[in-house]
Amino acid sequence: MKSFRTFAILSTALTYLLIFIGGMVRVSGAGMGCPDWPKCFGRWIPPTNISQIPDHIDPAKFNIVLAWIEYCNRLLGAVVGFTILITLIIGLRYYSNVNRIKVPLILAFVLTLFQGWLGSVLVDTLLNPITISLHLLFALIIVMLLLFISQESYYMEHPESEVKSMYPDDMKKYFLLMALVLFVEIVLGTEIRGGLEMIRKENPMVESQFLLKMLGPFKYAHTILGFLITFLSIYIWYKLVKKSHKPSVLMVQTSTGIVLLILCQIVLGEILVFFKVIPLIQLFHLWIASWILGLVSIQYVAWERSVIFYE
Amino acid sequence: MNRFFYFLIIFVILLGLGADWVIKKANRSHNIPVLKPVPEFSFFNQRGERFSEKELRNKITVLDFMFTSCTGPCPLMTSNMLSLYNDFTGVKDVQFISITVDPIIDTQDQLKEYAKIIGVSDNRWHFLRSDIEAVKVLKRDGFMLFADDLPQGHAIKFILIDQNGNIRKYFDGTDSGSNDVLKKDIVKLVNEYRS
Repeated sequence: MKSFRTFAILSTALTYLLIFIGGMVRVSGAGMGCPDWPKCFGRWIPPTNISQIPDHIDPAKFNIVLAWIEYCNRLLGAVVGFTILITLIIGLRYYSNVNRIKVPLILAFVLTLFQGWLGSVLVDTLLNPITISLHLLFALIIVMLLLFISQESYYMEHPESEVKSMYPDDMKKYFLLMALVLFVEIVLGTEIRGGLEMIRKENPMVESQFLLKMLGPFKYAHTILGFLITFLSIYIWYKLVKKSHKPSVLMVQTSTGIVLLILCQIVLGEILVFFKVIPLIQLFHLWIASWILGLVSIQYVAWERSVIFYE
Repeated sequence: MNRFFYFLIIFVILLGLGADWVIKKANRSHNIPVLKPVPEFSFFNQRGERFSEKELRNKITVLDFMFTSCTGPCPLMTSNMLSLYNDFTGVKDVQFISITVDPIIDTQDQLKEYAKIIGVSDNRWHFLRSDIEAVKVLKRDGFMLFADDLPQGHAIKFILIDQNGNIRKYFDGTDSGSNDVLKKDIVKLVNEYRS
């Protein structure tokens, strides 16, 4: 079904955009731009003037720029929710007997609703750091589910994909290790960012170049693990591209893309550590991490398809 | 496929430029207008030192009206003010002022004791007292707050005052969300003053 695949890919792309916008809310400090939820200062369209603030909300909280940044995140979140809902309706109609599509699709939709609720918790708890990290982790899980659905629906239409390629069949442990290390790396990254924000909250006048010095040892763990990921990704690239028979174009591009993006991440990460905590770089550092996670998922699914075929 | 990559790269660059614009706009959006200067006053603090509007010069000040025996919103206000006081430990440019609206019970000794109990250990937080009429005038005419039914009818506002003695912004002193905004605004005023 072509329309299903179109909507699956659209949901994936919009979710990636939403992760970017969500990161932007965070780095621009707009998380409390709307102090209530789901409305913004009691309105469905954020107020343009301080006189429109309802009595029960302190007008000191009103900042039109921050309100709109936060509100865009919510609006796009709603659009993503509807797109996934449409994908779900089409999916249940045509693939109700294909569990590999049906189950992740339902899960993605349920998690999206959960994300909306988590957004309201964030506002209620004045941006609790653990809840912020959970909000990101669930977004990453949703985007991987959607990518998986898109890839599977492509294979439904193109059953010949990956069957001509022969990859080494002992790769599963490396994929598992890669997934595990990437997950830990992202959690460490959010710990660093959360830690920086905690320090800044308790020492509001501290200069940003001293912030990192005040942070605990996990910033080193993040760097060390980063190098492990680099070696692992190069090894997987070597096995899947150089040591395989007729690797597919998708496999070559995905594997190369992962290595290049990881190198890019090292550069961005070192800028943040050694130069300055620049919000735009923080934002891309996080966003590219979500790309890498997605590409590793594509790589694994393509490899698995070929290996299962030959078994 | 190549066209797709070119499209993607251009899209990502545009997204980056857009995000850069938004982040800069967000940083510039915290402008705090000057409302009016704090008028002359001359009170005494908990150490018996004279404290007038001149002491507002060259400092960023957070000011509120309270009384020590209050059981309504005051404990929450004191706890929010105390959290700011602790966060700005060591920052000499930031001071805190609490003016009592019940000077009969809140004697100098009572204010001194109160400061000690809540954990004020240096000269950054002044508890001021004067006769009730002078406090009323300052509160009503100087800070534009209700002053009819003191001490119960005291306002719950925190008032942010800049280094030139100008009132800049009012905050709900019982709201921890407002306190987060106030903290950012103090940092902004201190940075403006230092630069």
